[in-house]
Amino acid sequence: MASAQLAKWWATIRISWNKQLSYKLNFLLLVIGPSVVFFFVKYSLWTAIFRLEGIGKIQGYDLSNMLRYQIWSLIVALVAQGYNSMNLAEDIRMGRISAYLIYPFDFWSFQTAGFISFQGLQLVTVSVTLLFMFGLGFLQHLHVPDLLSGLAFSLVVSFFWYQVSYLIGLAAFWLEETWVLRVMFITISQFFSGAILPLEVYPKYLLNILAWTPFPYLTYTPVKIFMGEYTGSLSQAWITLLAWMVVVGLLNRLVWQRGLRLYTAAGM
Amino acid sequence: MLREIRHYTGVYLRFMSTCFAAASTYRLHFMLLIIMDQLFYLSMLGSVDFLYNNVPKIGDWGRDRFMFFVAFSLAIDHLHMSFISESFWEFSYDIRTGKLDFILLRPLNTLFSVFARQIRPATLVNFVTPWGVLIYFGLRLSLDVWAWVSMFPLVILGLLLLTSIEILLSMLMFWTVESMGINFLRIQLQTISRWPDFIYQGFAKRFFTLVMPVLLIGSAPVYFLLDHSRWAGLIAMGAALLMSWLLIAFFWRLGLKAYESASS
Repeated sequence: MASAQLAKWWATIRISWNKQLSYKLNFLLLVIGPSVVFFFVKYSLWTAIFRLEGIGKIQGYDLSNMLRYQIWSLIVALVAQGYNSMNLAEDIRMGRISAYLIYPFDFWSFQTAGFISFQGLQLVTVSVTLLFMFGLGFLQHLHVPDLLSGLAFSLVVSFFWYQVSYLIGLAAFWLEETWVLRVMFITISQFFSGAILPLEVYPKYLLNILAWTPFPYLTYTPVKIFMGEYTGSLSQAWITLLAWMVVVGLLNRLVWQRGLRLYTAAGM
Repeated sequence: MLREIRHYTGVYLRFMSTCFAAASTYRLHFMLLIIMDQLFYLSMLGSVDFLYNNVPKIGDWGRDRFMFFVAFSLAIDHLHMSFISESFWEFSYDIRTGKLDFILLRPLNTLFSVFARQIRPATLVNFVTPWGVLIYFGLRLSLDVWAWVSMFPLVILGLLLLTSIEILLSMLMFWTVESMGINFLRIQLQTISRWPDFIYQGFAKRFFTLVMPVLLIGSAPVYFLLDHSRWAGLIAMGAALLMSWLLIAFFWRLGLKAYESASS
C-alpha cells in the first residue's frame, strides 16, 4: 500500500519535472530571471553606495560583507521563494480540479509533488549559482556546517512559501483572479524579510513588530545562518517558523473544505 | 487625418468604457488591485527612505533628489500599469490560442488594437500616491517653472520609451510558445529602470543605456528636470524611440509570418 502510494508520488514528480523543463527559456525567465535581476540591482546599488560615498561601514556591514549578504539572499530566494502555484488558481476556476476529487491521488498531493520536483530543479540551479559565485571569487570561504544548516532552514522556508502560495491559490474558490494576492504577498515579504535591505537598516520599532511575524525568517535569518553570523536563538527561529507552518497548514485545510462547498465544477 | 483621429478616439473611449464595466463587475478584485499598487509604491519609497536614514548621499544625490527620481519612475509606472501593462499579458494569450486572428481582421491598426485594448481602472484611480509624492518632492527641490511645465510631457516620453522597448521585446512571443517568461523579462527591465543610471557601472550601464536603453527612461528626464543643461539624454531618448519603432515594424512583419494561428 505504502509502496503504491510512493510510486504515485514518484511518477507525479517525474512528470512535473519534465513539464517544467519542456519550456526551458520560459523556466529561465520565469523562475531564475527575477531573482538574478533583483540581485543585480541590489549588488549595483550597494556597490554604488559604498564606492561613490567612500563609506566604510553601514550598520556593521562593510562592502564585502554587504555583497556577501546579497549573494546569500539570492541563494535563499532561489531555494525558498521561487514557487508561485500559478496553475493552481486556474485549475480551480476552470473546473479542472473535478478530476482530482475522484482520483486516488488528491489535489494537495498532486500540487505538493509538483512543488517537490520544482525544488529539485531549484537545487540544481542553486548548486550551479554557488559554483559560479566561487569561481568568480564573490564567495571565498565556505563553512560546511553553516551551509548545511542554512540549506535545511531554507528548505523549510520553501515549504512555508509553498503553503502560502497554495493558500493564495485556494482563494480562487471566491475570487476571479488570485495573482493580485500573490503579488501583494511577494511585495510585503520582500520588503519586510530583509530581501531588499538587511534588517539592521530598518528602524527599531519596525523590527520589534516584525519579530512577531514570519517575515524575518523568510530571508534575513537563513542568510545570516549561511553567513555564520546569526546571533539570535536558532532553535527559536525553527520553532517560530514551524509554528507559522502549522497555522498556514490548518488554514489550508479549512479553506479547502469551505471552498469545495462553493465549487461549481465549471464546464462539467 | 482628422477623421482618423476621431475614429481612433471613439474606439479608445469604447475600450475604456468596457474595461470600466468589467472592473465594476469584480469589486473585490478592484479593491485588491488598489491595495496591491499602494503596497508597491510604499515599498519602493520606504526602501529609499530607510536607506537614507543610514547614508547622507548616494552619488551626488541627497534624499530629496533620490525620492524625486523614485516618484518620477512611479508616475511612469502608474500610467504604464493603467493603460498598457495588461495588454502584454493578453497579447501572449492571443498568440498562444490563435485569438490574434480576430484582431488581425478588425478594421483597425493591429498594433493599436493589441496594445491599447486593456485598461486597468483600479490603478488609474490610484494616482494620488505617485503623483502626490512627485509634486511634494518637486516642491522641496524648488523646481523652476520650466521644470514644472515639462514634467508631465517628460513622464509621457519615459512611458513611450518604456512601452516601445516592451513592444519590441514582446515580438519574441511569436516564436516562444509559452510567453509568460517574456512578460517576466519585461517586468525585470522595469525593475532595472526604476533606479538612477549612476548606480550601475561598466558593461551593465553601457548595455542598458545603448543596447536596451531602459536606463534612459527615468534618468534622462530627471537629469534634465534638475539641470536643464543636461538635455543630451532627451535626444538619446528620441533616437531610441525611433530605432525601437523601426525594429518593431520589421519584427512585427516577421512575427506575423511566423504566427501559426493556433486552432484555426
